[in-house]
Amino acid sequence: MLCHLNAAYNLARWLMKNDPDAEDAVQEATIRAFRAFGGFRGGEPKAWYLAIVRNTAMNHLRSKNRRAEIETGDESDLADVPTPTIGPDEAMERTYDAETLRHALEALPPAWREVVVLREFEQMSYRELSEVTGVPIGTVMSRLSRARQRLSELLREEGP
Amino acid sequence: MICDEARILLSAYQDGELPPERREAIEQHLKACPACAATLGRSLRLGDAIRAHAPSYRAPESLWNALSPATSPRFWRPFAAGLAIGLAGVLAVFLLLGRPAPRDFTADLVSDHVRSLMASHLIDVQSTDRHTVKPWFLGKLDFSPAVPDLSADGFPLVGGRLDYVGRHPAAALVYRRAKHVINVFVLPARADFVGGHDLDGYHVRRWRIGDLDYWAVSDVEPAQLQEFATRFQSAG
Repeated sequence: MLCHLNAAYNLARWLMKNDPDAEDAVQEATIRAFRAFGGFRGGEPKAWYLAIVRNTAMNHLRSKNRRAEIETGDESDLADVPTPTIGPDEAMERTYDAETLRHALEALPPAWREVVVLREFEQMSYRELSEVTGVPIGTVMSRLSRARQRLSELLREEGP
Repeated sequence: MICDEARILLSAYQDGELPPERREAIEQHLKACPACAATLGRSLRLGDAIRAHAPSYRAPESLWNALSPATSPRFWRPFAAGLAIGLAGVLAVFLLLGRPAPRDFTADLVSDHVRSLMASHLIDVQSTDRHTVKPWFLGKLDFSPAVPDLSADGFPLVGGRLDYVGRHPAAALVYRRAKHVINVFVLPARADFVGGHDLDGYHVRRWRIGDLDYWAVSDVEPAQLQEFATRFQSAG
């Protein structure tokens, strides 16, 4: 499990949006995973472990009274995304800096954000994404599709 | 296929998660629809940007210390030694299971080969002249494949195209032996790309020139494919 600790932390950090909460979630999840190892029924150990991390992080989010955010999407940050004031080509370059990307990703609902993060950073297949998030592959597919469309809009990539 | 339908599938197409027949349909649509092709382009650039520039957070040292038996004796002292050994065993199993497995490319290569024969997409640049095919890849890939002239050996060059092997951009060189097509996929060498056995009646040969891997796939006789590989290497 510890060989996937960075992947686990990255996922939790993107879900919780801050370091202390991410650290709490991963620590709790990893200890639970060690204890639950007897219940591991085969499959991909990384996906199994990340599913525990994901569920723990989501529970922590909920217990912080953010249910509304999880279900309807947190769009409060949308207004803060910087508006490019230059031509489309330059704007495209400009929107690709770390801070703007982070802002746009954090503006996605957590259920969309997690599939983008796991897909782009961990190159997980849809089957593994389905295992981690506990939703069918078709839902994974539509969440990824909608998340990418939303990100494109957020980054104002409507140019040619 | 209409645009609304294509838009839903573009994302899965981009991730290489569509079954072959839907992939074909999307590719047909993309050829005819600049708007959807542009959407795909934006989405691919977005993915590149996230992987290249978005922050990827690494577990802080405090977390490693809290969870790692070796570096935090205080954390584990209350546990019995036996439990610690048990955990070390569990950890070892995880390390073994979790190690990134070398990727067997054979199935990807063979399906790319078969697809290139079925679709109208065998060749992007059609030329028997290596001095036309080799420069065609300039600017399309960040590496330059060797394109030897093997017509004197009975393997005439037909052309080349851009392809993807397991989501990695590759140059595909197309040669012929009599009626048989030989696809040569070229991509930067990586230790974790393995494969090269025969599959479904197709033969695969792999060789390396410089820092590029060359994978030849064809249904010609194994001896002929071997001869092709040998000639390619001595000419390339």
